[in-house]
Amino acid sequence: MPKPESFFQLSPSSAKHKALQSRIIESSKDTELLSASAAVLQDLGFQIEESNTAAGMLRAVKERSAREYSQEITRGFVFLLGLFAQTAIIIPVDLHQQIAATLVMHPIDNSSSRFNVRIVFYRTIWKSDGASGSQSIPPGSQSMEMIYNAKIYQQFFAKLSKSVFLEIHQI
Amino acid sequence: MNGRVLILSFLFILQACSTGSSKPPANLLALTEAQMKIRSYQTRVFDLSDQQKTLRAVVSALMDLGFIVERVNAPLGLVTAAKFAGSGNSGFVEATVMIKPKGDNQMEIRANAIFNTKPIEDPKVYQNFFTTLQKSLFSS
Repeated sequence: MPKPESFFQLSPSSAKHKALQSRIIESSKDTELLSASAAVLQDLGFQIEESNTAAGMLRAVKERSAREYSQEITRGFVFLLGLFAQTAIIIPVDLHQQIAATLVMHPIDNSSSRFNVRIVFYRTIWKSDGASGSQSIPPGSQSMEMIYNAKIYQQFFAKLSKSVFLEIHQI
Repeated sequence: MNGRVLILSFLFILQACSTGSSKPPANLLALTEAQMKIRSYQTRVFDLSDQQKTLRAVVSALMDLGFIVERVNAPLGLVTAAKFAGSGNSGFVEATVMIKPKGDNQMEIRANAIFNTKPIEDPKVYQNFFTTLQKSLFSS
């Protein structure tokens, strides 16, 4: 059982994650930057679910299959091992995932045209059914993870700075 | 035949009992002393004049804490955020923060959080939140 006190306490890695998730981007107007961000998310196959201009916020999701060969192979291998022991062991594998992104931006100081853009990616995974001997494991168990892969964030911000350029020059 | 009548009458009595006990309690929506106490430690007043700036600092603080911002209502000053917590990310923490101006140069910030549908009533939790928020407010 986790201690609720820790829910609102900064973790040692929070500064590192903040640096990973934020960039400073120049744009003349906040709406321009927000629509450029929405365009990038759309390019990446996301659906924009929520937007708020006054707070400079966007939330987007995309649904994808979460099937991986390695998991299927492990599942088959364990099933074969189970056959030797004369029980049916079927490990639940990842079936489906929802990848979501929340983007927030704010001007660095009131007069400037520089904005701090921060995006957070995370995913929810749904598992398939399985079996352990005579007991069956129902499908649909959920798990969630934050994405801290630096490459994903770098790619996003590279695309965003391009998109801002296109937006300014109306291409 | 007699047995069936007996069972039917028994069911009627059971039904009567159940409707009698499902009456909502009279003090269901009454304000208790505990509620006032909870409200007081969920609320802090800061010397700030810009509601939008405060809202952004709240969003930033929540993101620093690993929360996912779900909804923002800027004119109202309302932020809803959630995060998975606990062992194996099996638990779910949901927080709502409300920012409203108090006078000309003060902001009243109220936060409340639930963990797995149960409200968090530990003052220490809110203290931690306001400490983090303070860092975010005065660093931006």
